[in-house]
Parts: sequence; C-alpha cells; structure tokens
Amino acid sequence: MEKTEYNYDIVRSFVNWSIVWGVVAVLVGVIVSFQMVEPGLNFAPYLTFGRLRPIHTNAGIYGWGVGVIFATFLYIVQRLCKTRLWSDGLAKFQLWFFNATIIASAVTLLLGYTTSKEYHEMEWPIDVMVVILWVAFAVNIIMTIIKRREEHMYISLWYMMASLIGVAILYLTNSAAMPVSLFKSYSAYAGTNDANVHWWFAHNAVAMALTAPPLAMFYYFLPKSTGVPIYSHRLSIIAFWSLIFMYLWTGAHHLLWTPVPDWIQTLAMAFSVMLIAPSWGSVFNGYLSMGGQWHQMRENYLVKFLIVGITFYGMQTLQGPMQAVRTFSAFIHYTDWIPAHIHMGTMGWVSMISFASIYFLIPRVYGRQLYSIPLANLQFWLILVGQLIWSFSLWIAGVLQAGMWNAMNPDGSLTYTFLETMVEMYPYWWVRAGGGLIYFAGILVFIYNLYMTVQKGESVPSAAAFAEGRA
Amino acid sequence: MDLASILYLGVTIGLFAVFALIVIRTYSKKRKERGEIAKYRMLDDD
Amino acid sequence: MWEKKPVLLLIMATGAILVGTIITMVLPFAWVNTEADRIESVTPYTALQQEGRDIYIRDGCNNCHTQTVRPLVAEVIRYGDYSKSGEFVYDRPFLWGSKRTGPDLARLGGKYPDEWHYKHMESPRAMVPKTNMPDYGWLADNQLNPQKIKRKMDVLGFPYTDDEIKALAGKNEMDAIIAYMQKLGSDIPWREAVEITIVGDLQNPFKGDAAAVSAGKLLYMENCAQCHAEDLSGDIGPELDGANYDEAELFELIYLGIPDGGMPPYSKLGAQKVWQMVNYLQEGQ
Repeated sequence: MEKTEYNYDIVRSFVNWSIVWGVVAVLVGVIVSFQMVEPGLNFAPYLTFGRLRPIHTNAGIYGWGVGVIFATFLYIVQRLCKTRLWSDGLAKFQLWFFNATIIASAVTLLLGYTTSKEYHEMEWPIDVMVVILWVAFAVNIIMTIIKRREEHMYISLWYMMASLIGVAILYLTNSAAMPVSLFKSYSAYAGTNDANVHWWFAHNAVAMALTAPPLAMFYYFLPKSTGVPIYSHRLSIIAFWSLIFMYLWTGAHHLLWTPVPDWIQTLAMAFSVMLIAPSWGSVFNGYLSMGGQWHQMRENYLVKFLIVGITFYGMQTLQGPMQAVRTFSAFIHYTDWIPAHIHMGTMGWVSMISFASIYFLIPRVYGRQLYSIPLANLQFWLILVGQLIWSFSLWIAGVLQAGMWNAMNPDGSLTYTFLETMVEMYPYWWVRAGGGLIYFAGILVFIYNLYMTVQKGESVPSAAAFAEGRA
Repeated sequence: MDLASILYLGVTIGLFAVFALIVIRTYSKKRKERGEIAKYRMLDDD
Repeated sequence: MWEKKPVLLLIMATGAILVGTIITMVLPFAWVNTEADRIESVTPYTALQQEGRDIYIRDGCNNCHTQTVRPLVAEVIRYGDYSKSGEFVYDRPFLWGSKRTGPDLARLGGKYPDEWHYKHMESPRAMVPKTNMPDYGWLADNQLNPQKIKRKMDVLGFPYTDDEIKALAGKNEMDAIIAYMQKLGSDIPWREAVEITIVGDLQNPFKGDAAAVSAGKLLYMENCAQCHAEDLSGDIGPELDGANYDEAELFELIYLGIPDGGMPPYSKLGAQKVWQMVNYLQEGQ
C-alpha cells in the first residue's frame, strides 16, 4: 500500500530528464574537446568553442547535476519523512519549468546572450526563471519536512536544507545586474568587487549544489544499498556544521595573486586547508560504514559506485586545498591542471554518486528489476577509466605547461614563447578527448541498460524485496 | 598588540569555542542515543 | 532542539553560511574600488571600445584568455606589469578568466598595430602558426547599431558625445573588438615604467657562424615573417634589408622594439636568439 502513498511519477520524470541533459553536457564536452585540438571544427558564429563551452558547463551543472538533485531529493524527502510530497502540483510545475529553463539557457547561450560569469552565464531573464524554479522546489521540500511523520531528521535532510538556503543566497546575490535589454545586462558590481562576489558564488555553488546534495544522496543511498546504517550520525553532524560554515570563506582561492585584497586571499587559503577536516569527516564516515561489509564492493554494484565516488570526493578535497595554497597556485593556476581537478569532481564524485542513485531508484520507481548487472559493471569501468584518462592527461599537461611558462634562461629571458608551450599541449588534449569518448560510451551503456530495464526488466512484485538494493 | 589584533584573536578563540561546544553537545553521553537514532530509523522506511 | 525542528535548523544554517559571506564578500566593498585604489589615468571605455568588450563577452573569449597579470617574475616578463585593482573599476563584468588556453590579454593594448589584429582575427594561423584559436573574420560582416550602443553607455553612465555615436555608423564588430583590445591595460604607463635597457657592449657572438644564421632564420619565420613577410619584402611592417644597419643597431631595434611604431620588443626571447636573428638578417640573404 506504500506505493500509492508516495509520488514516484515525479521522480521518474526527473530521472529521465536529468539523463537527457547529462547526455547533452557530455556530448558538448566531447565536441569542445575536439575543437581544442582542431580549430577547423569551430563553425561561426554559433558553434564555436567560446559559445559551446558554457553550454557544456551549464548543461552539466544545472541540467544533469540539478536534475539529479531534483529527482533524488523528491524521492529521499518522501521516504525519510514517511509522507507524500507536500504538493504534487508544485512538483509538476517544477518539472516543466525546469526543462523550459534549461532549454532557454541552451538557446540563449548559443545565440551569444551571456554575462560571461563562469557557471552563471545565463542572462537576467533566465536568472529570474532559476529563482522561481528554486523557490518552487525549496517550498515543496521544506513543507514536506515540516509535515513529516518521522520525528527524527536524518543527516541527508540537513544537507538538503543547507543546499536549498545556500543556493538561494548565492544565486540571488551574484545575479544582481543592470539590464540594458531583454538579452543584455551589466553586472551590478565592478572590477575587483565583481570578481570577488563572483568567485564567492562560483566556489560555493560547488559547495551547495555539487557537494552538499551528493553528500545527502551518499548518506541515504549507501546504508540503503548495504543494509547497514552509517558509522556515526553524530560525526556526520559535526562535519555538516563545519562544512557549511567554512566553505563560504574560501571563494577567493580562485583569485590568488590577483588585485583582490591580500587578507581575503589569505583567509580563503586558510579555510580551504581547514576544509579537509569536514570533507574527510564524511569520507571516513563512509569508509567506516563499510566495516564488515567490504565484500559488498565485489558483490553489489551500487556500493562500488558509491565507495569509488566518495573516494573521488576524498581526492578532490585534498587536491583542492593544495591548489588553494599561494605557492602551488602560482605554479598551476590557469593551466590544464584546473579542468583536470574540476572533472575529477564532476565526472568522478558527483556523477558516480548520481549513477548509483539512479540505479537505486529505477527498480523502485518503475517496479522493474535492473536489466543487466554486467552492463552496469561495464559502465562503471568505462566511466572510471574514462575519467582517469581525462584527468591524468591534463594533470601532466598542466605541470608541463606551468614548467615551460616559468622556465628562464641564465640571462633572465624566457625560455619559451607562449605558443611553444601551447603546442606541447596538443598530444595531451588528444588523449583527453579520448578519455571523454570512453566516458561518453559509458553513458550510452547506462542509458541502454535503463531503457531495457523499463522496457523488458522483470517486474518487481514489491519494492520491499529490493530494500537492500542487491539485485 | 593593537586593538585589531586583539579583536582577531577574540573572534578566532570565539569560533573555536563554538566548535568545541558543538562537539561537546553532540557527543555528550546524554545525547548518544538521540544522536544516533536517525541512522537506524532511516533504514526501516520501506 | 534543531535536530527535530526544521525551521530552526534552516535559520541556523543560514547564520552559519552568512558569517563567512559577510566577512569575505560583503565587507571588502568598504575598501575595494574606493579612493584608496583609484588610478587617475584610468578612463571609462569609449562607445566603440565598450561595444568591442561586449562582443568579446558574447563570443566567450574569456573562456580561453585571462585578463590579469600576477606579480610573479616569469609572468611580468612575459606579459608586462602586474595588474592593479584600480585598472578594473569600469569593468562590468570583470573578465579575469580562469584558464589560459591562449595568452593573457591584460597588457595587450599597444603591443601590436591594428593591422596585425585585423589579419590575426581573420585567420589566427596566418599570424601564429599552430594556434588553436578559431577564425573571427566574420565579425567584419556585422555592422554596429549606434542607438543600441548609446543605450548601453547610458546604462553604464559612461561619458560620450553625439559625434562619437554617429561615428559608429559604418563601423563593424571587428573595428569594435580591436578598439577594445588596443585599450586593454594601456591606461597606466607601464611600458615606460619597465624600461628595458641593454647593458654592456654590443658584440655579435655569432660572427660568421652559419648555424646561427639558420637558427636565426627559423626564429624570423616564427616571430617576424607575419609582419615583414617571409622574403623580408615587408607587409604590415617595412621591408627589411639588413645591410642598411650595423649589427648593434639591428640588435637594439629587435631587442627594444619601436614602442610608438607598433614593433614589439623581443627582449623576452633573450639576447642569444636576438643575435641569431641579427645574423640572419645580415647574412642570410
């Protein structure tokens, strides 16, 4: 009877649409990676690297990332609160408005309507749409939590609520602009102020959209998949407060050595290093939850995705603070090392957790057993190998280029011209494009597997039979 | 030490105190059961 | 307590988020872009430059080019004086970027003559072999819309004259973006401040060395041929005939450049490479 109680329709729709936008994000990513090695692949004015790259990043963050957040949060909130969604109608509106917003973003970016601010390129009318969308989502989640039938709030709900508030504050503040027309506006802040506000936004968008939500998913789907509770709920609470407090100080580590005042840079550097503690609080909590359960890494594909995902998070949150230190930033910033770092987080951490979440959800919301576990394992290896090739090629490239930029002759002149350092990048960019293709193949396997599950999967008599997620 | 340094030091110590209080509160014996119950409850929502 | 009260938890989470936000993001407004970091010689963009800047934004140039030089030795040698906060007070939005697929452009203004930019934008590979920059020749096909630009200037509150707006008619997007690039980083007199000097006597270390001549030829093809033509017959820059100069004069011209004449200095290549080019120009023909 539980089945009729929860709204799974909306979860199904958001899963499907988030995958659609995920494919767009990866496909455009592959295209721009080839444009970097072969400039002839730019077709002016619309299909050039400069216009496509924001579509890649925004489709990835807002289409795939936020799409999965919508799908999983709307599921998790109902289960953890043991009650149906507060408003089905609002959720339905949210679904269609979400797709309208993403389509409007893609079209306007292609036409060149952009603010140029990274991960916030969309012009002001789309900012308005995003705000409406987020409010609809937040109201529904918060009201569902308020009317919950389970007194205790599990840690996933904490992270969800922080994310709702955080994204709202960040997005609104960074949207402030003076409109010239429907498609053009100028930032309300100028120069150094604009830079500081923007990277406060951009770094914390990573915190509130690409860290807190995947943590909420991880904390929910890991125990659900293994069948044993997380190691420590109290540790997750300490990590929670530390994380959301410290993250907001660190935006300026993207601006080391720029004209932003030194004291802001120093604070950003210090807090970035301190952030290792709450980040690894969650990583350890995940690992320790596996005590006595490590055999499930072999037996349960969901656990494999989740634990490798949290491992990527651990690596990401060690590498990030390292890059936030002035001396290391001086060497590595502006090189290909940086995209390598970002993609370890997005392709590794966020997407691994998202794939696991979707694999967990599909049998439950469609009532069908997964079509093929071997295919899920194949996808796991394709995306793991694809991502590692992607990042390692560019880490090497970044160190190489940084070394060449800094190389000097005994007489104090530069050893290499800029072009000489760029030409050295081509082989690595080719390898990176190859890594992207392998990753894309993994996504195609994923979609095929899900499609076959929905079409041909054995029907599941009751969701309870799958409670442990060991299909 | 000038006023600003004392102020900075005060804020820093204050923050550490808040952190210590959160840890002490969360890990107090009194709250052990209440603090951990949610992780068991979430498993029987199916 | 808040473990069971979602509204209280939301309020506390908001508080936790706001502390760092207020200190590192709100507070700096009290110091940044105030009189303290103001630079007298920095002026707002003209209508043409601002439109060029908007085209730079529209086509996402900031995805590959940064606009801030860090105070690091190799970086200052490569690009020029490090960036100052006061240089950016008219930048809405900021365009510092985060990735240098192409070089930093913060000190691009005045480095090359306009003609170099027109040829480079038309076909980057003609001027910079093996670059991966796409062609932007199509910008020249798009005429500017003076009324729209006037409106932008009003919103920004930048000064302009009616003649300036009228003069935009007949100009195209290529004119605008090049006008913008020529303004970049040139509001402060950093070139004069750097003042490259040559120390010691100018002695040709490669006199009669055939290997140096062929090395010089390669360097010429990479660095000079785009403006002076592969056969030295001249194009954007004048025809070159090494015989007209003595070797010390030639070295000085290449090493220091002609700042007012559109010839960039090649001191950053180092004395050795410049001497190789001198030997090529004098003996390689």
